[in-house]
Amino acid sequence: MKLLYKLPQDIETRIKEDGEQILCATPYDLEIQQPVNGFFVVTRSYFYIFKNKELIRKEKITRYKEYHHVLAVGFGHLEASNDEEETLLISFSMRHVNRYQSIATILNSIVENHVPKIVSDDEENNCPKCGRPYRFGSRVCRHCLNKKVVFKRLYTIIKPYLLPLFLSLFLMWSITGINLVTPTLHRILVNDYLTPKNKNLTAILLIIGGIGLCSLANTVINVIKNRLMIKVSASITYDLRQTVYTKIQSLSISYIENRKTGELMNRITGDTNRVQHFISNEISIGITQLLTLVVVTILLLVLNWKMALFILIPVPFIILYFRFMNQTFRSMYHSQWRISDRANSLLHDILSGIRVVKAFGMEEKEVSRFSKISKTLSDVTANNEKRYNTIFPFLNYLMGIGSFFILYYGGSLILKEKLQLGDLIQFTQYSQLIYGPLGWLTFFPRSFTNALTATERIFEILEEEPKVKNLAPETNLPIEGNVKVDHVTFGYRPYDPVLKDINLEVKPGEMIGLVGHSGAGKSTMINLIMRLYDVDEGKILIDNRDIKEINQKDLRSQMGVVLQETFLFAGTIYQNIVYARPNATLEEVIKAAKIANAHDFIMKLPDAYDTRIGEKGVRLSGGEKQRIAIARAILNNPKILILDEATASVDTETEYIIQEALGRLIKDRTTFAIAHRLSTLRNATKLIVLDKGKVIEYGTHDELLKKQGKYYQLVMAQKELTKTRE
Amino acid sequence: MSEITYLKPKNAKFFRNNNGFLGLKFNDVEYSRVNLIKAFPFSYENKFISVRDKEQNEIGIIEDISLFPEEVQKLFTEEIERRYYLPKITKIYSIKDEFGYSNWEVETNYGRRKFTIRRDPNNFVNIKANMILIIDVDGNRYEIPDYTKLDKKSFKKIELLL
Repeated sequence: MKLLYKLPQDIETRIKEDGEQILCATPYDLEIQQPVNGFFVVTRSYFYIFKNKELIRKEKITRYKEYHHVLAVGFGHLEASNDEEETLLISFSMRHVNRYQSIATILNSIVENHVPKIVSDDEENNCPKCGRPYRFGSRVCRHCLNKKVVFKRLYTIIKPYLLPLFLSLFLMWSITGINLVTPTLHRILVNDYLTPKNKNLTAILLIIGGIGLCSLANTVINVIKNRLMIKVSASITYDLRQTVYTKIQSLSISYIENRKTGELMNRITGDTNRVQHFISNEISIGITQLLTLVVVTILLLVLNWKMALFILIPVPFIILYFRFMNQTFRSMYHSQWRISDRANSLLHDILSGIRVVKAFGMEEKEVSRFSKISKTLSDVTANNEKRYNTIFPFLNYLMGIGSFFILYYGGSLILKEKLQLGDLIQFTQYSQLIYGPLGWLTFFPRSFTNALTATERIFEILEEEPKVKNLAPETNLPIEGNVKVDHVTFGYRPYDPVLKDINLEVKPGEMIGLVGHSGAGKSTMINLIMRLYDVDEGKILIDNRDIKEINQKDLRSQMGVVLQETFLFAGTIYQNIVYARPNATLEEVIKAAKIANAHDFIMKLPDAYDTRIGEKGVRLSGGEKQRIAIARAILNNPKILILDEATASVDTETEYIIQEALGRLIKDRTTFAIAHRLSTLRNATKLIVLDKGKVIEYGTHDELLKKQGKYYQLVMAQKELTKTRE
Repeated sequence: MSEITYLKPKNAKFFRNNNGFLGLKFNDVEYSRVNLIKAFPFSYENKFISVRDKEQNEIGIIEDISLFPEEVQKLFTEEIERRYYLPKITKIYSIKDEFGYSNWEVETNYGRRKFTIRRDPNNFVNIKANMILIIDVDGNRYEIPDYTKLDKKSFKKIELLL
């Protein structure tokens, strides 16, 4: 997100007069409710507010203790306060909300005497060039697309298929050629042989045979071309998807987490499809249609330019009409789609809430609600269909209107013996060939832009560099489990650190419990140890090696993770347990399940380890899933174990069973555990209490209790809670 | 807990604090700054307005703004303007569709505006009879208070969306 805008000259000089260096300069657009044009400028020691280029406020940043980003309804404010004062600095529309969130953080860190980092990772929603919003889930502006660059990219995709594509193009041209020959044969047939003067039946048969042969060749070539193209499109789709998917898997978690699942799926399936369709259909068809159009137009003009005009003059009108109708139909069907969507969601809503409907005796009301929307839908649909079925036949009629003139004009020429009947027939047949390409060309720009944008979006992913780089070679060196966290500072957004200057040393086999309120940085700590993110400052060492210098595969293969939200893939229990180590023996699998206290419940299922789970299979309870996840984690025999709220979502009894399993699991492993129920962490070698990203307490359970600090408070609060619950 | 504490002119004294924000003295407690939050921002704009302290705890509810004297009402309006911003569309100049988005150019009670909405039913919501709430790509909101009262040309432009 942009935090440093180009300022108008006057403003810039005004600030330079003060000898200040500009850190941030951002526009604001409201004064409470009234629209204004203004700039908010932050330097090392001052902030400036300009309204219509005029300085209306300049203040020392440290005059206030805290800066607040206030999100109101439909807009936001930047406010500042100290012990006596509170003041509204500026207001802004929703476009700048995230920007001022960052600005507030920056101002606050200046107040706290930190040197702020002026970077904001939040992405803009609008194209920086033209200000138009990006299409959903994309950072490519359709207007400012550099077509040259995209063409080059498209070419790199097409390159491996050039040969079959040229072949299909050649086949299509031969079809066009044949199509052009046929009318000539008709002309010869009519002019020279279908006259009583020239009674040559063999010649007639020969010509008819020629026409038949053309038609056969046409069909055969078409079949060959289609089969070829199907093969090419399938392999283009496969290659593209494979490339995009492999790339996504290699990207860092920060990239993937910043995007919605649906968006990524759309890149892998939707965009690749669009590009494939464009390459395999539009390009070759396009070239052919264009060629047909040009050749036919020339032929018509050469044959008889006056008659050609009858056909060509209405063409621009027809194109315009086509475009206009296209728009109308689109919005017509769009509204129909909206209503049908509404009817469907209403239906979904009512059916899933049917118990509530019945419990309140509201059946009749719901029936009338649905029948109302159904009626609207049926009315709109009928209306649209009526319009469509009225307009299109007339359009067809209009397109054919030129041929009446030709018939009349051509007929009169024949009577004057200036034209032969065969010529007229040939001419009419050629004129029929012109409408297809015309109709197609009106839609071409749209599908062309679609394909370019899709290409650009695919390359957006392909060119993304993983933030967490995997540079070290694979060594298969075993890890002992020494973990050292050395002055680590990290934030998901660089100006907003979540962990500050953390130090920690863990010996192999020790268990470290992480304690703190939500948002204190516990999970972040674990993310860093797993190296899902790279630290901003400091180092994390495993067995005295910086984790950046350990190959990721080596690292992860010796880490086991059990998370609160257990994710099991669709498949059998067995497949899920051996996920990370497919070559494990059956004995190892059962042993792992036993350690995880899962073996017994698995054996109670009719299909035991071969039970299908997931969407289409048996539903397991939260505790059961958790135990399978533990078995999965243990099968790898990891040296470092990570338990992130592994027992948070189960009842007390199950928790006991899981605790028991975990007790066995953590033996001889370096373990990091997060748990809300502090009793779970009683066996930890050391506990770390985190607060606002800093370690505030460190020691054993007993030491920390004696200290009567934050940990003591948390334990007591939980005791209270358990008491009241009982 | 379930009782509603009503703030009435008799027991609740609203004032403008030194910093220009709304303050309240109620039951001998002085709140240097309070926030007003509408319970029914679309259906009953001026009724049931929750008065909250800095920590967002409810102090009480104003049943109807009009129960208070005019100068207090003015204070309310000021505070409400700081919290709610919803330009009202009075005229529609153009709506142009473009790749699944539509670009609008309209006249509002705050002047002429241009904005873009993504074509998604959630961005064009019928909150109550004849009223439409429009949400643009940035999250800005616009209101058509009563589309039947729009001029004919404007109405024609949104007719298909209804």
